[in-house]
Amino acid sequence: MKRSRWMLAMLLVLVVALTVPVQSALAAAAGTATTKKLIVDDAALLSQQDYDELNALANEYGAKRETDIVIYTSKNAANTEVMELTEDFYDQQAPGYDKPHGNAVILTLDMKNRQVYLAGFYKAKQYLDDGRLDKIRNKLTPDLTNGDYAGAFQTYITTAYKYMGVRPGANPDNILFNIWVQCVVALIVAGLIVGVMVFRSGGRVTVNAKTYEEAGTSKIVGEHDQYLRTTITKQKIEKKTNNGGGSGGGGGGGVSKGGHSHSGSKGSF
Amino acid sequence: MSVIDYKCPGCGGGMVFDSGTGMLTCQSCGRQEDITQMPDPLAKNTFDGDEAKEYHCHSCGAVIMTEAETAATACSFCGSSVVLGDRLAGRLAPALVIPFKVSKEEAIQAFRKWCRNGLLTPGGFMTADRIKSITGMYVPFWLYDLHNEIQVQAMGTRVKTYRSGDYMVTETQHFEIYRQIVLNYVQVPADASEKMNDELMDKLEPFPYDQLKSFKSPYLAGYMAEKYQYTDEELLPRVKEKISAYIEAYIRSSISGYTTVNVTSKQIDTMLEKAEYALLPVWMLHYDYEKKDHMFAMNGQTGKVVGKPPLSKAKVSAWFAGVFAVSFLAMKLISLMLGGGFW
Repeated sequence: MKRSRWMLAMLLVLVVALTVPVQSALAAAAGTATTKKLIVDDAALLSQQDYDELNALANEYGAKRETDIVIYTSKNAANTEVMELTEDFYDQQAPGYDKPHGNAVILTLDMKNRQVYLAGFYKAKQYLDDGRLDKIRNKLTPDLTNGDYAGAFQTYITTAYKYMGVRPGANPDNILFNIWVQCVVALIVAGLIVGVMVFRSGGRVTVNAKTYEEAGTSKIVGEHDQYLRTTITKQKIEKKTNNGGGSGGGGGGGVSKGGHSHSGSKGSF
Repeated sequence: MSVIDYKCPGCGGGMVFDSGTGMLTCQSCGRQEDITQMPDPLAKNTFDGDEAKEYHCHSCGAVIMTEAETAATACSFCGSSVVLGDRLAGRLAPALVIPFKVSKEEAIQAFRKWCRNGLLTPGGFMTADRIKSITGMYVPFWLYDLHNEIQVQAMGTRVKTYRSGDYMVTETQHFEIYRQIVLNYVQVPADASEKMNDELMDKLEPFPYDQLKSFKSPYLAGYMAEKYQYTDEELLPRVKEKISAYIEAYIRSSISGYTTVNVTSKQIDTMLEKAEYALLPVWMLHYDYEKKDHMFAMNGQTGKVVGKPPLSKAKVSAWFAGVFAVSFLAMKLISLMLGGGFW
C-alpha cells in the first residue's frame, strides 16, 4: 500500500509539473495587454488576418525568450544590400524586448532581389549564432520560394523561439529535446520494466549454464583460428553541401552603422 | 506385504520424518531414529511383479485410497503414514532422495512472506491468508549425466575502419574458425510426474545436491510420494533441449574477439552416461482467492516459491505510471543537461 501511495505522489508531481508551465503561459498571454508591432510588412505580403495572428504569436513567444521576434519585408526601392537593409532597420526602428536597441531577432525579406537575411542582436546574437540562423533560413526558404509567406513566418517565429530555449553551443535539433521522443522513450522504459515485473512475478529460473556443468572435464579440446585474407573497401567522405531551397547562402554577421554587433545568415529564395 | 509403515520400537506410535533433525521421529514419545543407520524395511520385503490393486492400512485395516502413481501417502481414516513398497521396488526403486529441509510451518511462513513481497499482487491476496491445502510431496525426477562432444566450424571477421585522406577505409580480415569442445553436464533434473507442470518444476531448481542421499523409504514417512510416470528414455529429449541453450552459450563464449561470426557447421553429439531416479521434495500449496484456486510450488529444500499469483490491475497501472513519470523526468533532466530547455 505504501508503494502505491508513493506512486500516486509521483503522479501528482508530474501532473503539477506539467500544468504549471501551461498556467504561467496563460498568465503571460493575459499579462501582455500591450501588443507590440513586431511585423513591418512594407512589401504587403500578408493579409490582415495573417498579420494579426503572426504578430500575436511573435509577441507571445518573444516575451518568453525576452527577445523581440521581428519581421521586416521591403520592396527595397533604393536597392540596398539586404544585410545593410536589416542593419539600417535595426538602427532606425530600435526594436528590443528589454530596451530600444535591445534583444531582437530580425527576418528581412528583400522582395526586389528576392533575398532573405536573418540577424540576431544581443541575447539573440548569443543564442542564435550564424549556424542556428542558417538552420532557420534553410527551414523557411522552401516556403518563401513557393510564396507561402505566412507559413514561412510562422516557422521562423516558432523555430527562433525553440532554438533560443537551447543553451548556446548545443545542437538545437537534438532529437532528445523533442517532448514526443521523451514521451515515447519513457513509455517504452515503463512498458519494459513492468513487463519484466509481470513476467517475473511467477518465479524465475535461477539456474544457469554453470549449474550442471562439470567444471574439470568440460573444456575446449581443440581449436584453431586460420587467417584467410583481408578485404579492403574505401568510401569517399561526402563533403557537406549547403542546399537551401534557393541558391546561395551563408554570409554571417557584422556590425551596423549604429555600432550594434549581430549574427546573421543570408540567402536567396 | 506391500504396505510399509513405521512404528516406534518404544511405544508403538506412528513415526514420521522430521525435517528439522533429519531423523525418523515418533509422534507420541519423541523417540528419534537415525535413518542412515537403520535397515530399510523396504529391503526386507520381496514383492511380486504385479502391483497390488488394493492396499490395507496396518493400523486400522481400512482400504488406503491411492491413485495409480501414489508411492507414499497417509491413511485417510486413521492418518497413519504408509509407504507402498511395491511401487518403490524393482525398476521403480529410487536411487537417490533429497529429504525435506523446510517443515510445514516454515513453508507456510515462507509462503506468506513471499505473498507480501509481491509488488503486483493485489492487497487482498497478500492478507487473505487462505491456504486451502499444503502437501509435502516427493516428486519423481530423473537426474541425467550427459556427455557432449561438439565440433563447430565458422567464418569470422575482424573489421577495422579508419580515415585516410578523403576516404573511409574498411579493412576486413577473414578467419576460418574451428572448435572442438567436450561438455559434461551432471545430474540435470527433469520431473517425471505427469501431474506436475514442467515449467513450474524447472523454476523450482536448483536443488542443492549436497543433501542428496541414497534412497531409504523412511524419508517418505509423513509425506506423499509419487512413482515416475515417464521413463528416462522418454524424458531424454526434454533434458537435451534444456542443455542445448547451455551448449550454445558455451560455443559462443569459446569464439571471441571477432566482429562477426557465421557458423557454417555444428555437430553436437550427446551421449547419455547415466540417468538416476531421484525423489525431490516439493511443497504444493493451494490458495483460495476470489473463488479461484491458485497453485504454488515450493522447493522443499531451499524454500523458493514459484507459481503465478494474481495481478492487481491497479498496482500494474500504478507501477507503469510511476516508472513512466520517473523516466519522463529523467529524459527531461538529460535534455536539460544537454542544453535543451526543460519545457
